[in-house]
Amino acid sequence: MSTPALRKLSIAHLRGSVAPFSLPFENNKKLTVVYGENGTGKSTICDAFEFLGKGRVGSLENRGLGRPHKYWPSLGKNSSDVSVTLETVDGATCSATLIKSDVVINPEGNRPSIEVLRRSQILALVEAKPGERYNAISRFIDVSGIETSENNLRQLIQSLTKNRDVAVARVQENEDSITQFWTTAGKPGADALAWAKIEAHRDPNAADAETAALASIQLAYTNLLGYPTQLEEAIRDLNTANLKDDDARIALENCATSVAADAKEVVKILESAKDYYLAHPSPHACPLCESSENATGLGARIDQKLGNFSAIQTANSNLTQAANALQRAAQQMEQLNKNYEKSRTAFEDSRKALPVAEDIRPCATSCPTEINQLGSWLEQTADLPAAWKTAETNRQDSTRFLATLKQALETYLHNVDAQKELDALIPNLEKAHEIVIEERQKFTDLILSNIATEVGRLYEAVHPGEGLNKISLELDPKKRASLEIGASFCGTTGTPPQAYFSESHLDTLGLCVFLALAALDEPAESILILDDVLASVDEPHVERLIEMLYVEARRFRHCVITTHYRPWKQKLRWGWLQNGQCQFIELSKWTNTQGLTLIQSVPDAERLRILLAESPPDPQLVCAKAGVILEASLTFLSQLYECSVPHRSTNLYTLGDLLPSIKGKLRNALSVEVLISAGDGGSTHQPTALGPILDELQRIAQARNVFGCHFNSLSFELLETDAIGFGQQTLMLIDALADPVAGWPKNKKSGRYWANAGETRRLHPLLAPQ
Amino acid sequence: MDKPSDTLAKRITDRLVKNGLFTEAAANKAQALIASGKMSPEDWRLPIELATDKEECDS
Repeated sequence: MSTPALRKLSIAHLRGSVAPFSLPFENNKKLTVVYGENGTGKSTICDAFEFLGKGRVGSLENRGLGRPHKYWPSLGKNSSDVSVTLETVDGATCSATLIKSDVVINPEGNRPSIEVLRRSQILALVEAKPGERYNAISRFIDVSGIETSENNLRQLIQSLTKNRDVAVARVQENEDSITQFWTTAGKPGADALAWAKIEAHRDPNAADAETAALASIQLAYTNLLGYPTQLEEAIRDLNTANLKDDDARIALENCATSVAADAKEVVKILESAKDYYLAHPSPHACPLCESSENATGLGARIDQKLGNFSAIQTANSNLTQAANALQRAAQQMEQLNKNYEKSRTAFEDSRKALPVAEDIRPCATSCPTEINQLGSWLEQTADLPAAWKTAETNRQDSTRFLATLKQALETYLHNVDAQKELDALIPNLEKAHEIVIEERQKFTDLILSNIATEVGRLYEAVHPGEGLNKISLELDPKKRASLEIGASFCGTTGTPPQAYFSESHLDTLGLCVFLALAALDEPAESILILDDVLASVDEPHVERLIEMLYVEARRFRHCVITTHYRPWKQKLRWGWLQNGQCQFIELSKWTNTQGLTLIQSVPDAERLRILLAESPPDPQLVCAKAGVILEASLTFLSQLYECSVPHRSTNLYTLGDLLPSIKGKLRNALSVEVLISAGDGGSTHQPTALGPILDELQRIAQARNVFGCHFNSLSFELLETDAIGFGQQTLMLIDALADPVAGWPKNKKSGRYWANAGETRRLHPLLAPQ
Repeated sequence: MDKPSDTLAKRITDRLVKNGLFTEAAANKAQALIASGKMSPEDWRLPIELATDKEECDS
């Protein structure tokens, strides 16, 4: 969607607008030239645009005013009195007001994009330090976000490269360890790694089973070692018990024989009776004979009787103990045999389970079933446990070695994988990093090159053929955000223009840089304000600069140029410049009561037309105005065809000099094709011969002096129709020659005729006929 | 108007995709991160690793 054209700018109490001021914009004209002498308020108009678009007033900045916003209101006015409103052709408005020091925009969505260049800033970009110059264009080339991401990628590559170096070192270390294991193992197989992989695949349980079997047989053998001693002790105990039992038996026999034949039985009866009396301390009768006689004191008498048999009792007790001891010894022997059988069975099981291996000595003979044969068997096999222990230790060492080898191989393979992964990844990261750098440099170089080319193009338009168009903008690779500007000078490129260019050339360069930058940022939506930027441009270049501004203004939403360059006013007045797209506004003298005021200026040809249309027309005014216009027209033709006029030091020529200079074949050949719009929307060129007009003008040319310049009694005798005719013929001539919009036909690019912009006028011939 | 970083990020990711270093999907995700400077080292690593793996699988 295109941004609507401007209709009106209203300013109230901002800077020089002490009274409300309106600047109307003409339809279909994107360039407004505001002409005014110094102090007429041109900068106030620029301030108003900047106030609205940027919320600031640049003309007051850097003037040592402190906070300049207090000077924004007109003298005697307050902040609340300030307002600027821009109205567009679709009826939309955007206003800026001031609340204390804050600029309030309403509505914000309609706020226009404004680019302002003032006379004081024109050299800012050219003469700025490289860093400040960079800041001015950073919004077009600022890719700091990309640079941060690029830096992160660089850090990643550096970090992973370090990791890779570590992985490589570790792989080497692991290889060395495995080679060492391989060497220790006697370098079996083709190479260390192949051997390690085979070894790592070995079943660690196989060695574990052998180790367990060896441990088991050693334990079983150790268990057997105690039996010979135990057997000896058991036999000794049994023999002792047997002897004691025999002795006790004999002692008892001997004692009983000496006491009574039946003493033994009697003692038994008495002991039984005593046991009875202990349970029944006061019986009524004898438990044997049931006689109550002598029952009293029977217990005491039994104790007494038994005392008589104590020797027998002792012998009897000893016999009991000996018998018990013998029984225990027999039981121990029996238990020993049972235990031995268990241990023997366990050993036999272990012996049978003992794996067959080169370094495992088998037990050739079975463990004897008889315990008493064990001793000699143990003597025969005494060296076996040490051999088994050695075999077990060897296996334990082998298991530990395998575990260590396996771990080393796993670490090696892990590090090899990590290295391989990084070997594949890092080149791709580096490639990505190269792409980011390349694209960034290409991107900024292209933007800078485009800006520089554009600056060169604009500069060439103003300074054609001077060879100064090779402008370069380069980022200093050693310094971040530093922009160097270079230009060609006397065949040397890249020279700093500040060092060699004239003030005027630098001004033009500054303007071209500004225009090139302003055009980068959606110019169709931007209003370009150039405040008095022509001031120091020298005369030979100013016309081309103006033409360039005409062309460049078309790219923007609107362009406002303020100037006090008087020739511009005159050239526009005489149609020497294309003013089809240009609205010319003149400011009159500023006063402290009215502020800014406009002068309605009308081109001279239009004034003549108005004078002729009056009823009745004033001959004096008509002739005076027509004379000036005719002089301008004849000057144009005589210069174009290099006609001969009297050579004077003043370079001032009268109609009497100019009219006859266009003569003969040239006068007859002069004709203008005027572009006429047809009713059907098309257009056609209609020829107008200038010869008859010039002939008639030459006939009545005296009317100019007689009526227009002096009080002359001759005028009493001349016909007023000649005076009006002089005005009408002059108007016909200027209408034929100059288009009020597209100007004079000064371009001979066609090769056949002179033409103005858009070829609304085609002047023939191209060359004066000889 | 796009910021210069946005425009450049698009060009970078397009080239990364063209060179097989990023997948289209990864490029779309990464574009804003690259432009804003928030593309961390790990953000760079993952898509390139995935694209590398994919290439290895495809080949």
